[in-house]
Amino acid sequence: MSRKTALTRKSLEAQALRKRNISSYLLTLPALLWLLVFFLIPYFIVLIYSFLTPGTYDVKFTFTLDAYRQIANGSYLRPFFLAFRLAFFTTVICLLLGFPVAYYIARAKDKLRNTLLILIIIPFWTNLIIRIFSWRIFLASEGVLNSVLLKLHLASQPLELLRTDLAVILVMVYVYLPYMILPLYSVLEKLDFTLLHAAMDLGANEARAFFSITLPLAVEGIFAGALLVFIPALGAYLIPQLVGNQQSLYVGQVITYKIKNIPRNWPMASAMSFTLLLLVALLLLVMYYLYRRRLRSRTY
Amino acid sequence: MTEIRIENLSKDFDGFLAVDDVNIAIPFGELYSFLGPSGCGKTTLLRMIAGFEIPRSGRIVLGEQDITDLPPYKRPVNTIFQNYSLFPHMTVFDNVAFGLHIRKTPREDIRAQVHKMLALVKMEDQASKYPAQLSGGQKQRIAIARALINEPKVLLLDEPLAALDLKLRQHMLIELMNIHDAVGITFIYVTHDQSEAMSISDRVAVMENGRIVQSGPPDDIYERPASIFSAYFIGETNLFSAEVVGLEDEYVQLKCDSGDGQSFEIDSTFHFTPVLGQKLTVSLRPEKIAITRGKPGNQDDFNVLRGTIEDILYLGTHTQYIVKVGKLRVRVFSQHKRVYFDEKALDWEEPVWLFWHDTDTWLINEIHEPDQGNINPESVGSIQRGKRAGAN
Repeated sequence: MSRKTALTRKSLEAQALRKRNISSYLLTLPALLWLLVFFLIPYFIVLIYSFLTPGTYDVKFTFTLDAYRQIANGSYLRPFFLAFRLAFFTTVICLLLGFPVAYYIARAKDKLRNTLLILIIIPFWTNLIIRIFSWRIFLASEGVLNSVLLKLHLASQPLELLRTDLAVILVMVYVYLPYMILPLYSVLEKLDFTLLHAAMDLGANEARAFFSITLPLAVEGIFAGALLVFIPALGAYLIPQLVGNQQSLYVGQVITYKIKNIPRNWPMASAMSFTLLLLVALLLLVMYYLYRRRLRSRTY
Repeated sequence: MTEIRIENLSKDFDGFLAVDDVNIAIPFGELYSFLGPSGCGKTTLLRMIAGFEIPRSGRIVLGEQDITDLPPYKRPVNTIFQNYSLFPHMTVFDNVAFGLHIRKTPREDIRAQVHKMLALVKMEDQASKYPAQLSGGQKQRIAIARALINEPKVLLLDEPLAALDLKLRQHMLIELMNIHDAVGITFIYVTHDQSEAMSISDRVAVMENGRIVQSGPPDDIYERPASIFSAYFIGETNLFSAEVVGLEDEYVQLKCDSGDGQSFEIDSTFHFTPVLGQKLTVSLRPEKIAITRGKPGNQDDFNVLRGTIEDILYLGTHTQYIVKVGKLRVRVFSQHKRVYFDEKALDWEEPVWLFWHDTDTWLINEIHEPDQGNINPESVGSIQRGKRAGAN
């Protein structure tokens, strides 16, 4: 009798659980619909366009692999290479600059910490384009930096800073640094600093304690920050356009030109977008694999 | 042989003197405890020995070596942290191996030593687990193994049992004593729990406001407290203000004020030379007092008081009686042994006799200020009146 009641109760609980699951699925429905309509379907259209033949203004509905063939034979290697190089350096520099900052903020006293966090976020209050233009003013040959350098006789003639690859990386780092600092901060803030004392107690000096304790425990933040910087940096358009030069066209710029310039080449732009997506997906898979492997075993 | 010597050690935080001119010598192989309430400076003292705090002045000498200014990683001491501080991203094996790994010990040696250490703390079969998968007691064992594998000269333990529940705490206490016996090195133990310190230590230093107020074997500190603070911080006690009214070769007569204008006289042995008319404080442990309904017989070497039971607290192993003598409240512990003839239990409001041996009256050469500690002027005898009221 009591056994039977227990069973009944169990099945009732299971039923309730199932019900709850269904309702939680229902709650995700709006977001799923949103993604379907505004992300998956458009991407599917892009995918289809990439297999079509370009017309002067639009496309002819004849299937071709021309666009992918051109990408594969290396005609567009340089824009892709430039984009990956830019994303790579931006990410590495952001990590190297952001880590000490995030570490310092995480260890600061409450009041100072909040002030510093606000300072990190404040640039977001100003429009991106305005901020990039202010960099142009700063870097221009008759701009702020050059006039100071000339006044101090640190340079005999104005340096060509604007419209260089260096300027692109500089402004990229400036724009994306907060995206690195914030996830790093959030893991470092949770880090138990007595673990560092424990490591030092066991014979590790400061550097050793950092590499064997702080860094492994911050790895989630490093991954998150790296993704947040690397992926947008790969598709950078605005910054290379405003502070870069026309000799170094990044993939984002090339895609734009393919659509903007007449004759328009929608299939090429689509194929490049899709290739970029595939490369990012591949990269994510590799990073995920590395992350899982790190979790699995670390026996000396 | 002195293992660790601390000389004139002081430390301040923004002008607050956390450790104030501490001097001690800890012999090799002892289990030495620093005992005191939170904020007394005991943890700061430990952290200075470990190297996490730089002293303002003074020296720490380990064996022959002055370690005062060495960074933590160059000191031959290891610490058991209060929350164990195991590395969450490493397995039990890697946690224990950490110190050896840092010192570039060959891989096979690491393996052998880690297994030896895990055997010592009875955790051989848990080597591949992560700290998050362990219970509090298991984490504690790993923390001990991780520290001892480095063969420190001194092991520092910072409230190591504070996070464990009572049963586990008692169990780990015995375990710690066994480990101490097995490795034979000096242990320095910091705790605020007097029973922990009493049961585990060879010697205890009682700390108050950054100073060591008394040090010695646990029974010595319990039976012969040097100050009012020692007396009431360690164990429970009754404190009376008293005045010396008579002196003999081995005994002193004391007049105690019972708070209602009356007074009573008691006898005591003494360990310092009192002066006639001197005011001092009497400490009387509650378990030293016998409580009976009938008048006790031979009273030659005994002090006898008459009082009324105000409160009875049944505590399992013993009963605590609060007996009013005048306006004083005297705490008496009575164990439940059936050795008395009047076996009917004592009741509330019942008049009773209290008696204790003269040698159990302990004199403290300090004047008992009404505002000192948590001593209440109305209830000089019962220093933890607030606590008692809360229990009602």
